[in-house]
Parts: sequence; structure tokens; C-alpha cells
Amino acid sequence: MYRCTCFILPKDVLDRLSHDKTFTTEQRKSLADSARVSDALRNVRVQAGLLTNVSQSIGAHLTSLATAPKVTVYDCKQTQTLPGTPVANPKASADATCKRAFNETSKVAQFYKQVFKRNSIDNAGMTMMSSVHYGHKFNNAMWNGTQMIYGDGDGKIFVDFTNGNDVIGHELTHGVTQNSLQLGYSDDAGGLNESVSDCFGSMFRQWQANQTAAAADWLIGKDIMGSAANAKGFTCLRNMANPADKKALAPQPTKYAQVTPGMDPHYSSGPPNLAFCVACQTAGGKSWETVGQVWYAVLTGSGPHPTMKMSDFANRTRQVAGQLFAAKPAIGAAIDKGWKTVGL
Amino acid sequence: MDRLDIERVGGQGGFGGPNLKSEGHVDRARLSATDRAAVEALFARPPTDTPKPDEFSYRLTRQTPSGPQTIQVPERLVPAAVRSVVKDELR
Repeated sequence: MYRCTCFILPKDVLDRLSHDKTFTTEQRKSLADSARVSDALRNVRVQAGLLTNVSQSIGAHLTSLATAPKVTVYDCKQTQTLPGTPVANPKASADATCKRAFNETSKVAQFYKQVFKRNSIDNAGMTMMSSVHYGHKFNNAMWNGTQMIYGDGDGKIFVDFTNGNDVIGHELTHGVTQNSLQLGYSDDAGGLNESVSDCFGSMFRQWQANQTAAAADWLIGKDIMGSAANAKGFTCLRNMANPADKKALAPQPTKYAQVTPGMDPHYSSGPPNLAFCVACQTAGGKSWETVGQVWYAVLTGSGPHPTMKMSDFANRTRQVAGQLFAAKPAIGAAIDKGWKTVGL
Repeated sequence: MDRLDIERVGGQGGFGGPNLKSEGHVDRARLSATDRAAVEALFARPPTDTPKPDEFSYRLTRQTPSGPQTIQVPERLVPAAVRSVVKDELR
């Protein structure tokens, strides 16, 4: 039986062929370019190997799948069958929803990498998978434990959920929480889970616009309101700066004392949202540079706390602020003010 | 009519709150045998699962000789034929 064996061309062969005048100028240039790329790729592999060695010496769970996450998009075609049909080249898709899901998810990955040095949802290069056109006029987006899911909205209450970059940041952050603090989805922990997603979704949106905390509008879901919602005067899902805002579709409590057992986490997230917003506005500058760093450190440096109380999270942020920003006590003071505003 | 009242709550928009509702009802006799059995099983042993982040939940209410019985279950456990009867509306 004939067996076909494939070889990777060594660099010296590529170099030699790039000078061979029996090839055209264009072919010689391609060979020379391939030699350069091969060099670079080899360097990446060497560095990746070094990283793997270091990671494995620390703990097997830290070995990365990839140095940067793959971003994939699937089309559910208005069914609820997951993940749907793979979209071959979502970056260049004629379907604006597919293209948006790919582009914004890629930017969230970049945000976590640049701002928090985090490599994808699990900090190990996990593939970031999104399914779009889920269901028929589906008025929701969610993280199902392994991937993001986006509905198209009914056009009246909501439009396409991928229109909101804060929504995309919010959903992906649920994955980050699952891979770090592991907050549950009921009572205090549920409210914190939702709040963390709103905080990082909002930070992502501000980062993309290079906005200071003072310039940001702190509205969640402003870009997914449908025509009927707009006609009734609703401007957003939630308002982090004013959780009780009557123009928010889901007006929330503003004090921890107003949170009741079993409350929907999208409502109980009001007080921690306000605490974060007040802290960022008081600290000044850009949210992700100071207060956001404290929130991230608590989220990822505390171990799993599925039933964490809001008071414990608040106290952790105070403690970590004192450590991370020992030379800038104003940051800790801003965070303390935020929590005291909501009664924690 | 063996009526099953259905309310969809939660999700990103906070359905079931002051501004958004999603309600419907179905005659259980009109469900397929499989779906009817699935609904009965939910009432017989209400799941303790919490929803996944931003996942909808469904409040299902049936009438019993001792009065209405309501359970709340994550969307992934509810048959499609039951999920599909609700209508999303602004209040």
C-alpha cells in the first residue's frame, strides 16, 4: 500500500529555494516570506513551550489550550438547537449578527488580555463560542455554562442582542465568574453574579470608547431597546448610576436592605452595581484602571465562593484596595464610599 | 379544560418585573403524551436546579382539589410546546 508522508520544509531549504532563479520573482518572495514566518512561528512555539513548562510546574490546571482564544460563531437559524450551524468565516460574514458576535467577542478577549492579563474565559485560552439567531424572536441572551447564546429580539421590546457590546461583555463575564469566584445564581451570590457581569460589561463598553467614569452613561442594554420599549420611554435594561431609574426596564433596589430572599438576580444586582459606579465616579479617571482592578482581583483571587454574601464581597474589595493601592488611599476611600452608599 | 397557566420570568430583561410580562396558558389534554408526562413529572418532583446565568424560568400553575399548585423551573427543563405559548409584552 502506498503511504503519503508530509514534511514541514526546514528553514534552510526555504532560504535556499528563495534564491533559486528557476522560480519566478513572486515565488521566490513567497519562499522568503515563508522562511521568516517559520522563524517567527518557531519562536512562538519555543515561548509557548516555556510557558507550558512553567505552568505545569505550578499546576496542571494552568496549562493553556492556546495563547489566544479561538472565537467561533454558530447560526441557530431561529431554532433552539445548539450550537447551530458553524459559520465558516464570521469575521467577513454577510450576516451582520454573525460578524458582530465575532468582532465584539474578539474585542472582549482583547479587553481581558490587555487590562487584566487574562487569557480568555478560563485564563487558559478557552475557545469563545457564540450561537446567534437563537429561537424565533427570542427576547434574551445568556451564558449556558459553556457558550454564549443570543436571540434576535422581537423588534418591539428588544432588537438583536448582539447590538449591545455591554451585553456581549456581560455574557462572557458570566463565564469568567464560573471559572473564578463561582458565584451561584440565587440570593446574595446571584445578585453579585449579575452585578459582576454588569460591572465588567460596562467597563468593556467604556474601554472601547476610551471613556472616563465621569463621561460614561452607566446604562446596561441601551443599544438593544426595541421600538415599543423606546416609545414607552424606556432607555435601557438597567441603570448602574441610578438603579431605581423609571426609564430602566428593570428598575432595581438601591439599598442592600431592600434585597429580599429569592429576588431575581437582575434586580438584586442593583446595590452592588451602584456601589461600583459610585466608587468609579469618586475615584475618577477610567474605571478599569483602578476600581476595576480591585473587582477583578476579588473575582479571581478569592477561590470559589458559590454562596458569597454581599457584605463579604464588599469587605474583600476594601481589603484588596488597601493591598493593590496602598500608595493611593483615595481608591480605597472611593470603594468604601460606594458600599456605604448602598448600606454595606 | 385541564388548564396549565404559564409565566416566563427572569432573563436579561427581568421578565415578571414591573414592566415586562410573558404569560400564556394551555389545555394539558392538548399536549402530546410525552409533553404531558414531562409536565406531570415536574409537578411530582419539582427540580431544585437554579437557572443558568440569564436563563429564563417558567412558573407553571395547575389546579388541584386542594387549590392551585405552582412550581418554578429553569427553561431548559420545560417542553418546547409549553414554552411556546407565552407572549412577551410590555405592561
